[in-house]
Amino acid sequence: MTDHSKPRPAFAPWDRRELPGLFSVEDSARRIGNYKWAEIALFEALGGWVATVPELDVKIVLGRHTYHHAWHAELWHKRLPELREMNADRMTVPPNDEFVRFVDAVREPEAPELTIEKLVGVYRVLIPRFIGVYTYHLNGTSTITDAPTIRSLKFILQDEFDDWRDGEMLLQSLIDTPEKVERAARRQQELEVLYLASGGIAGPGSLGEPDAAAQEVAVG
Amino acid sequence: MKKFLAESELARDERFVRTKIEDRIFDPRGAKVAQRNTGPAKMAVDRPAAAERSRSLMHGIFVGEIQALEGAGRTCYDFTLDDAPFALKLDMARQCWDESRHCEISVKLGDHMGTEIGAYTESTFLFAAACNPDPVLRLCGVNRALEGLAIDVFNSMKEFGDESGDPILEFCEDWMLADEVTHVKMGSDWLRRLTEDDPERRERALEFQRTVDSIFNLGGFRGEDDENPIQLARRFRELAGFTDEENDSLAELARQSTEQAREMAAMATAALDQSGAGT
Repeated sequence: MTDHSKPRPAFAPWDRRELPGLFSVEDSARRIGNYKWAEIALFEALGGWVATVPELDVKIVLGRHTYHHAWHAELWHKRLPELREMNADRMTVPPNDEFVRFVDAVREPEAPELTIEKLVGVYRVLIPRFIGVYTYHLNGTSTITDAPTIRSLKFILQDEFDDWRDGEMLLQSLIDTPEKVERAARRQQELEVLYLASGGIAGPGSLGEPDAAAQEVAVG
Repeated sequence: MKKFLAESELARDERFVRTKIEDRIFDPRGAKVAQRNTGPAKMAVDRPAAAERSRSLMHGIFVGEIQALEGAGRTCYDFTLDDAPFALKLDMARQCWDESRHCEISVKLGDHMGTEIGAYTESTFLFAAACNPDPVLRLCGVNRALEGLAIDVFNSMKEFGDESGDPILEFCEDWMLADEVTHVKMGSDWLRRLTEDDPERRERALEFQRTVDSIFNLGGFRGEDDENPIQLARRFRELAGFTDEENDSLAELARQSTEQAREMAAMATAALDQSGAGT
């Protein structure tokens, strides 16, 4: 028979979660507000593009992904009030004007012959950066105090990886001449320059501060 | 990308052939077709050309699903968060995913029924309802009128699948029917919420819905009699939030359209007879 009164530790031996994390409540709310703004901008554009792409398979995938990113925005919308930010709209902002310029450029293509430009912006530039910024947040936040954010990040990252793969495969099947390879590369380069100027989805420090990390190493 | 995309700008590959609704209505062959007494028009397995008619309708459903997907997508994009609340946009994004699945289902059902993309023409008047610049009117036209029509169409096709012993058709139509009920509920919900303090706007929206409903009743396409190919699915419409009064009103509109179609057919037949007698 099991001895009910025998004390057990609060954390099982294999549970290695720790208290400290990189983000304060305020830091986390600010970043999540930026994520929500970017996810809204993305799902609106995907929805708008559905009618402008002639390729049936692309049309259908964009329709599916529209919902994925809307759902991400909804998860962040629900998380904000839990981070003491009762007015979610106040925090739903871009990190800076440069990021707005980047997003405007991603959303700009409209003509039916610009499917490659549309997809490159989303699947070779923006979504890989979502994966980066979300992974940084996931790896850096407190695994105990910020567990609700971690749960959302894991769900969202799964979508991002799946959507990235869908979009990348569509691009690989559409890019069938050397000229299209150049077109795609040119578009990617233009957008990456704009993204760089913004510092990222959450502004400078989206993937941490390299200087601070270097200092830590030096001090250590 | 600009806001508000015209119906003529919908992007399609080369398989699709677009027609205007007026071309169909004023097709000079219509009078001769009307002369043929082929019995009730209701979708039924014992009707002449039942298989061909079901394939044609399936293709119509397919292009309708594409336009519904495009319309929901544009509602995500066309309006600012001041014009359309965040939750409304989330609903429209969800509808995008649903309509995407319906496109996939329709393509596979088309294959299953022995037709292919582009075998029939496409009219884009469904998307036209999704171009309204007022989000409330757009939702009334699309989610209540068009998705309401989809309830009728899917229910008719589901029954046809059952009668014809096609479990795949019946199964798929039943799943799509469930989604359409949800979409109509979304439309009814947003109509109520966004016009709570604005009865005038609500009336404009309902008037727009009646206009769209009338278009889809044209020629007696939908109704409650055997001569209507698509039957009004009252039970599912009630589940979707339509009141008895609304269903009665739509049935009356449908009866009027059927009667007009009958009169037009009689006039066309008489004209044909006259021209035949004169030669």
